[in-house]
Amino acid sequence: MTDELLVVRAQLGERAALAELLAQWRVPVWTYVRRMLDADRADDVTQEIWLAVVRGLPRLREPDRFAPWLFTIARRSVTDRLRGEYAREQETLAGDDVATEDPVEAMVDRAALMNVLSELPVLEREILVLFYLEDLTVEECAYICRIPAGTVKSRLSRARRLLREHLKEKGYRP
Amino acid sequence: MTEEPRLSAQDMIDRLAPVLSPRVRIRAVAALLAGVGGTVFVGTLWWSEPGPLPGRTHLAFALFTVFCLAWATYGGWLLTRRVPLFATDRVIAAWIGLAASLATTAVVTVVAVQRGTGAGLALAVGGLFVAVALALAVRAHARRAALLRRMHELTGREER
Repeated sequence: MTDELLVVRAQLGERAALAELLAQWRVPVWTYVRRMLDADRADDVTQEIWLAVVRGLPRLREPDRFAPWLFTIARRSVTDRLRGEYAREQETLAGDDVATEDPVEAMVDRAALMNVLSELPVLEREILVLFYLEDLTVEECAYICRIPAGTVKSRLSRARRLLREHLKEKGYRP
Repeated sequence: MTEEPRLSAQDMIDRLAPVLSPRVRIRAVAALLAGVGGTVFVGTLWWSEPGPLPGRTHLAFALFTVFCLAWATYGGWLLTRRVPLFATDRVIAAWIGLAASLATTAVVTVVAVQRGTGAGLALAVGGLFVAVALALAVRAHARRAALLRRMHELTGREER
């Protein structure tokens, strides 16, 4: 069953559809939160996110855009927890809105990515998680992070560069 | 990293149960309706008192009105912030609201007529409440119908 159908049924008030939606998105949401926060906070924040999702679901006007909406809520909850660290990152990158080319690079090794993610700055970590781990498009990442698509691309490019440096330091060879 | 969420989907649903509980929704709608209905009723009694009132009676009416407004605010806050009303809930809530508006209008009009203060104002205020409740009912039905239509479209597409 598609997400849109589940969302519509949940909006009508079907508990089973809501449960199915939650079962389907529980792990992706938790994965995103866990990559951004430590394990102790991840469960708490995940629960907050689902609470906000259930409260906001009746007002969701575009059921076919459930995933970006869900991750927007997730991002807000994570940002609230990371506020200090996040604000500093935003300031540093305030002028970094220049779109750069996004060359097709070699596939990022998922396992290696997971290991070094926690060492990356918040914004780069976030964009890698959304784009590579959650398989969202550049446009969806832009919608979730409230930045232009060009900034998503430049941030992704910077994130990949940082990731490559970290991997090299750890002895991985491309 | 091969971590898994510690809470299962069922655990998560269980933790969301208070938000999804029908009892909380009924409580919220009841608080809102009782608050609004009470405010209108007490306000009408206060306004339609034939003679001049002593200060203490004014104070008592004012306190009753504040009390009813507090319940209405609490119900409204629950419905807008804490408890989600899904499409079917909205339809039910709108009809309850319409019935309550009609009942309050009838009672208030009868009281006003009995006290000889005329039914005009009571009917005007009651009519306003009825109109708002009716508009909310129409909107709730339209939203539910749109969702049902979309659900049938999507179900048909999946079956094909």
